[in-house]
Formats: sequence, structure tokens, C-alpha cells
Amino acid sequence: MGQLVVNGLALGSIYALVALGLLLIFNTVQIVNFAQGQLLMLGAFIGISCAVTHELPIALAWAATIVAMALIGVVFMLLVYFPLRGRPPFLVVLTTIAMGIVLENLALIIWGPLPVSLPSPVRGPPLRFAGVVISMHQLAIFGTLAVILLLQFLLLTKTRFGILMQATAQDLHTARLVGIPVNRTIAVAFALGAVLSGIAGLLVAPLFLAEPTMGGGLGLKGFVVSVIGGFGNLPGAVIGGLFLGLIETFGARYISSDFRDAYAFIVMIAFLTAWPRGLLGEKASEKV
Amino acid sequence: MNKTVAIAFACLVALAIPLAMRDDYVIQLLNIGILNAIVVLGLNFVTGWTGQINFGQAAFYGLGAYATAIATKSGLPWIVTPVLSVAIVLIASLLLGLPTLRLRTYYLAMTTIGFGEIVRLIIVYWEPVTGGTSGLRAIPPISVFGISPHGLIQHYYLLLAMLALAILVAVRIRHSALGRAMIATKDSEIAAEQSGVDTTRTKLLAFMIGAVYAGLAGCLYASSIRFVSPDSFSGVQAVLLMTMLIVGGMGSIAGAIAGALALTFLPEMLRFLGQWYLVLYGLGVIAVIVLTPGGLASIMTMTAPRRGVAR
Repeated sequence: MGQLVVNGLALGSIYALVALGLLLIFNTVQIVNFAQGQLLMLGAFIGISCAVTHELPIALAWAATIVAMALIGVVFMLLVYFPLRGRPPFLVVLTTIAMGIVLENLALIIWGPLPVSLPSPVRGPPLRFAGVVISMHQLAIFGTLAVILLLQFLLLTKTRFGILMQATAQDLHTARLVGIPVNRTIAVAFALGAVLSGIAGLLVAPLFLAEPTMGGGLGLKGFVVSVIGGFGNLPGAVIGGLFLGLIETFGARYISSDFRDAYAFIVMIAFLTAWPRGLLGEKASEKV
Repeated sequence: MNKTVAIAFACLVALAIPLAMRDDYVIQLLNIGILNAIVVLGLNFVTGWTGQINFGQAAFYGLGAYATAIATKSGLPWIVTPVLSVAIVLIASLLLGLPTLRLRTYYLAMTTIGFGEIVRLIIVYWEPVTGGTSGLRAIPPISVFGISPHGLIQHYYLLLAMLALAILVAVRIRHSALGRAMIATKDSEIAAEQSGVDTTRTKLLAFMIGAVYAGLAGCLYASSIRFVSPDSFSGVQAVLLMTMLIVGGMGSIAGAIAGALALTFLPEMLRFLGQWYLVLYGLGVIAVIVLTPGGLASIMTMTAPRRGVAR
């Protein structure tokens, strides 16, 4: 029981990281990126290329992945969002889905279809606590989530850049009129969003194995988490993520493990019907 | 006048193809292309005319196909399967549509993706009935009071007739009050509500009509291809159906059919590209969305001489 809680929270922390990446982009351009999971997959494989294939030390592999993901985030923005500014958001849903297909198949060509493993950034014996085993990697996941949550909170509320992002989200044209470098703000938001999903990928690859098709499911989970917590809501994304992680772990144990991917959607549809604004409310309501 | 000539020409070509082409492979692909065209025409009601994103169309297609396959394999006469398929997709589309059609873009995209995934999981894991991942084989053929089509070419003409019927119904609905309500809902929900259009009801009806198209196409798919597997109705297929509509041109009947046929044949012709095909497919979709907002249909009208005031 206690073990299930720990495993569920670790899985949920990964979902929360994906949702935090979605949130950064959403809070700047009001666009939902449907290729967030494929960016995560890319992060995992770039990490594997560095740490396993080229045998770089794990810290260096992490640094290289983060830099690469930031660049990929900007290129991603230039391809799927930039040409469609001001057109219906509907179209960006489709271009991000199409880009997800491109990334997934490029990964299949480059890295092949077989699942690969990535070593954890931390080593050491697992902690034992009243019959519950907590691995060092699970601790690293909790730690990373806490650090990123804090950094993102400070970024959004205490820095100039956070204010620029809010202004861009509220009204792009007015923001540009008053001299805010809108395009640069958007590029940074996409870069940071890609970095966050890259980190989630680096953390998920040691937990399960990395394979090119892993992205789709994880990206959708990030969306479900955002719906549960309230879209664009920072603590909501974390609470929603942990909640979904627990539901999936307990559902797989006590109901049926075949349908573990369906729980997320059932929970999401329930939330959209009963609490359309999410547990903690959302920033800009464009849902109904 | 020009339009009548073009339609007559298209009909003649469609009727003459089996006379000139006796290649089974091509005819089978055409049959699948026609079935896809019916499904995409259904999607056009929801996405092209009413402006609602829908990634559940492949699941409705699958529900129709599996309902027919399971029913005929358990000994029911074929004639009841279209009714059965329609009943099942109507129930499913009501269950999905009623709570979700008030949602906007992303939420609707996600719930319909979720619905498709749940249907796929049920097909994969309810193995005793659905055959799981290996699918169902040797499905009994179409048979109306003992009369059945024989061979691919007879099936081709039958499916072509069904497509013609689907087009006629679509044209009739487009020019009815419901069709105008759909367009109004897409253009501006607020303005449509102000003019007395019940937008929720319009969206739900469009969604259900789309599901019926998919369900009937699924019924025909199961009993003319005679093999169903979950891969044919997965989320990838849902994105492909949406792509057919976008590439063809949203809101255009001719575009929906052209897009469906083109994207049924293209993967076969580009098979030598292997995995690279899907990379190019994704980039191609982005290029079409960015460069030609109206899809192939808009290229056709761009080359035609324009008359009167531009829309």
C-alpha cells in the first residue's frame, strides 16, 4: 500500500513535469502543444546518445540534453507556431500533432525501434522505511520536481520575464505596441517548455525504458493533468500530476492493468463534466 | 455549367476505371479509398462545416466495422448489420457528444482522442469477442436476401453507389436549414445564437451525422474487405482522416473525396521511402496548413477565373 503510494507519486511527478512544460507555452501564447510528449522522448534519446553511446559522464549528458532541447524548442516554435500566428488555434493543434509524427519517425530512423535504458543521475542503496522501498532515482525525481516548481514559480511571479510572458498571453498586439519583445518572449517560452519535457524524458528513461513511441501517451497525460489542476495553474499542474499518478498506480493494481491508459481519459472526461475549471481554477477560460 | 460538366466527367471516369484497369491491387485500394471518402465526408459535417475538431471519427468507423463483423460471424443475417452499426454509433456519439460538445478546441480534441483510445483498448483487450490485436478474419460477405456482389469489381460499383448516395445526402443537408446553421456555428457561435440557431443542438446533430457516415462505412468495410483489426481504426488513423480533410480542403465535398483518395494511394506509391514516408507526411501536413489554408480545393478555385465580388 505504502509502496504503491510512493510509486504513484514518482510516476505522477513525471506527469507534473510534462504539464509544467505545457503550462509555460500555454501561459505565453494560449496554445496547447500536442507534441510535448515527443519532445520528452527526444530528450530521453539525446540523453541516451550522450551517456550510453558516447559514454559522457551523466552530468555532462544532462547539460548537453538541456542545451539541445532549448534549441529544438526554438526551431519547433518557428516551424509549427510562428507561421500560424493569428490564425485559428485549431490549426496549431494539427501542426503540433503533425510535428509529433515527424519527431517520432525521425527517432525511429535514428535510434531504431528497440527500447533502450538510461542510467539514473544518482546512485546509492534505496531507502527503507517501514516496509516501503524508495529508490534513489525516485528521490531524484521528487527533488527535481520540487526545484523546477520553485524556479518556475519565481520566474513567473518575481522576474521581469514572467511579467513579459503574462503581458504576451493577455494581449499579444498591445504587448507589442508597448515595446515588449514579443517574438523573443515566445521563443524563450518554447525553449523552456522543451527543456522541461527534456528533463522529464531524462528522468523517465531510467524508470521505464525509452522507445521512440513513448511520447504520445506521456504527452496526453500531461494534458489530462492540466485539465485536472486547471489549465495554466502552477500548483494545479503538480497536484493534478500526483493525483493522476496515484489513480493510475492504484487502478492498475486493484482494477485492471490492461486499461491503465484509459483511466487518464475517464478522469479527464469526469473533470471536464463536473469541474470544468479544474481543481484550482485556470488562468484564462477559453474552454466553454 | 462548368460544374455540371466536371461532375459528369468525374462520374464517367469513376464508372470506366474497372474497364481500363483490371489490376486487383488497384481496385482493392480504390475500394478502401471510397470507404475512406465516406468517412471523411462524415468528418466534414463536424469539422469542415460546423468547425468542431474531432479525432473520434476512426473510432466510430471501427465501432461500425466491429459491430458488423461480430454480428455476422455469430450468424445474424447481413441485412440487420447496417441498422445495428448505426444504432451503436448513434448511442456512442450521443454519449460522447452530449457532455463534451460545449467544449472548445483543445478540450474537444483531447476528449475525442481519449474516446478513440478507450475504444481501441476495448477492442484490443476484449479478446474473446473482438479477436484482440490479431483482429477478426473470414467475415461473412454482404448479402441482401441471398443476393451478394462477387469479386472486387462488383464491390467497387456497390461502394461507388454508396459514395454517390453519401454525396447526395451531404449536398441536401448542406443546403437545408441545418446546413446553414452549421456554417453559422462555425463562423461565429455568438452571432449564430443571436440569430436563433441552437448551436449545441447543431453541433450534436453534425457530430451524430458524421458518426453515422463512419458507422455505415465501417459496416461496408467489414463485409467487403472481410478482415478487421484494431490498427485500421487507431488514433493514427484518426489523424490521417483529419489530414485527408485538411489536404482536400475543409468544407468542400469534392475536396474531402479527393483528399481521401489521394492519401489512400500516396502511402502505397511512396512505400519505397519506408519510415521516411511518415516524416515527409508530417512535414507535408504542416506545409499544406501553413501555405494553403483551403487545401487542394482552394488550389482548384485559385486557377479558375474569378467572377463577381470576392468572398
